[in-house]
Amino acid sequence: MIARYRLALASLALALASSVQAEPALPPPYAGAYQPQGVDEQGLWREMDEEERRYSQSDIMIRDQALNAYVRKVLCDTVGHDRCGATRVYVVRAPVFNAGMYPNGMMEVFSGLLLRVRSEAELGAVLGHEFGHFEARHSLKGLMARRSGGDAMAWAFVLANLAPTYDVVRTYRDLQLTIIGNYFRFSRDQEREADALGIAYLNTSTLRPQAAAQVWERLIGEYQADALSKGLKKPRLDRVAFYATHPPQVERATTLALLARPDGATRDDGAERYRAALAPWLPQLLADQIKLNDFGASEYIIQSLAETGWTAPLWHARGELYRMRGAPRDLVNAAEFYGQAIALDPVHAEAHRGLGLSLLKTGQRAPGQQALRRYLTLKPDAPDARMIGLMIPQEMSEP
Amino acid sequence: MRALFGLMAAAVLCGAIISVPAQAQERSAVRPGFVLPPQSGKKILLLRPSVRVAEQSTGGMAEPRAEWTDQARENIDAALAELQRQLGNTVIAAPEAYGEDARRVAEHQALFAAVSRAVIEYQFFVGNRLPTKKRDNKAGQFDWSLGPDVGKLPGADQADYGLFLLTNDHYGSTGRKMLQIVGLVAGVGVTSGVHAGYAGLVDLKTGDLLWLNADGQMGGDVREPDGAMKRVRQLLEDFPGSAIPKEVAVAEAGPEAKP
Repeated sequence: MIARYRLALASLALALASSVQAEPALPPPYAGAYQPQGVDEQGLWREMDEEERRYSQSDIMIRDQALNAYVRKVLCDTVGHDRCGATRVYVVRAPVFNAGMYPNGMMEVFSGLLLRVRSEAELGAVLGHEFGHFEARHSLKGLMARRSGGDAMAWAFVLANLAPTYDVVRTYRDLQLTIIGNYFRFSRDQEREADALGIAYLNTSTLRPQAAAQVWERLIGEYQADALSKGLKKPRLDRVAFYATHPPQVERATTLALLARPDGATRDDGAERYRAALAPWLPQLLADQIKLNDFGASEYIIQSLAETGWTAPLWHARGELYRMRGAPRDLVNAAEFYGQAIALDPVHAEAHRGLGLSLLKTGQRAPGQQALRRYLTLKPDAPDARMIGLMIPQEMSEP
Repeated sequence: MRALFGLMAAAVLCGAIISVPAQAQERSAVRPGFVLPPQSGKKILLLRPSVRVAEQSTGGMAEPRAEWTDQARENIDAALAELQRQLGNTVIAAPEAYGEDARRVAEHQALFAAVSRAVIEYQFFVGNRLPTKKRDNKAGQFDWSLGPDVGKLPGADQADYGLFLLTNDHYGSTGRKMLQIVGLVAGVGVTSGVHAGYAGLVDLKTGDLLWLNADGQMGGDVREPDGAMKRVRQLLEDFPGSAIPKEVAVAEAGPEAKP
């Protein structure tokens, strides 16, 4: 009996391993302008068209043409130019790691994702995953799965009420759990399929497919750093929770590493190009991240960005992070970080501002006021110029 | 987005049957001092109505239907123009907007939705009324505004008032109706269909909300021209200066809409 179980387990493991390592075949790209088929898909698309009409005009969008064109180019480089024509890409100002795909070809890319990936290949890995959802029509299949699950549960509920005995109620509860569990497993399987498609796009592109696993490895690092700084138990990122919509991060990192084509490891991952394209946006993305008040995660992101060398914006962001937390020891650290920023870029106005405020708070009045004066000289029309001016004694009114 | 779908799914799967009975609450209000005499020949700018028509699955999930939504949009536009003509007003559809204008329209649509929700939550729902919105507090009885920036909306310079309109309909599928019948035997209350709508009139000079009508249980099948007429008549039944006989509209509608 036990031997038979073992055999079953072994064959299951084998089947899993082989399905993991087989490179998925890419579906044929949508020919030209694909039109939705059937009432469900047409309904879903029409609803999302209306949503896109509204969402695309929202103030949450980052409308910078250069940035939008660049993100779109990375998508097209990943999935191929014959495919990416079916999508519209919107860059959304939201400081969290996410991207989304709507059934009608609208893709949203959160600014928090841009802050957390380091190369075109890494960004392409996530965009390819999202595009995989679109090409495999996951929204439609998800709608159908929710509908059939909901229908079954509604009938079971009504029928169970015809004979509400203890056994019937227990059976109903079991069925309810089964249906809900099934739905979330279905969702995780869709994510696995999208991961497989995403890495397949990357494998056939000119970008380095090994980057896909790096995205998840870094995210795991961030979650762990975050938990550590909050004094929480280490998060279990390798286990499937009952209500999890996505597979665990460790599984995704491992699978993607296995699926990446080995001969692609020598390819260019476009890290230099990515850094250059993102440079004008980095200060804002960092400022948004810091305002999440998530010290461990923000520190981890700044440190990981600094692996390729500290720059003035990075030192400044680190200063802001520490000054925001604001304990006396943080202010001492912050002042030092602002100093580093100024050493690299003496005309970085905001670094002078942060330095001045940190010094004032630690009781060093004269050097603090001097730094603030420098800030106002560098940026006389700053929005907070008058407020900062109040902290500097005027030469005339000095007793 | 996908995570959101997951949450929605959980909500749909878990809460398919339980439905909250509609609370007895007010459905419409007019800003004090605002009168719109019949046949006053005012121009009303109609912002793109939000129209959503879906089929309700057996489990209670909304399945969006493109064809029904298109028909409803067409029918509602036609019914609105006809009824306002009867009231002596002209309805102009807001022009297609681009760039900065389009963003302003989107922002105001969202603002109107937020303000309407606040009115429904904190004024129409009597037990939940904010102290500043109490009936005996005469001065501030119905005092809500979108701000004077509405005057910059495209088309606003050619009109006196702006009209916002929203309808959301889920028509019970055959499966849902079957479930309802079996539910009757089993002693489980299953509702079929969702028919909600609201309409609001805004002064395009000041941004003040002049009139709001919100109803969670409306009549009229918006997929048919006649039904859309009935729906719009209901939406406009308390419209300032309206000559639409209220009793008739109510009698026609009944409490539960029949899809």
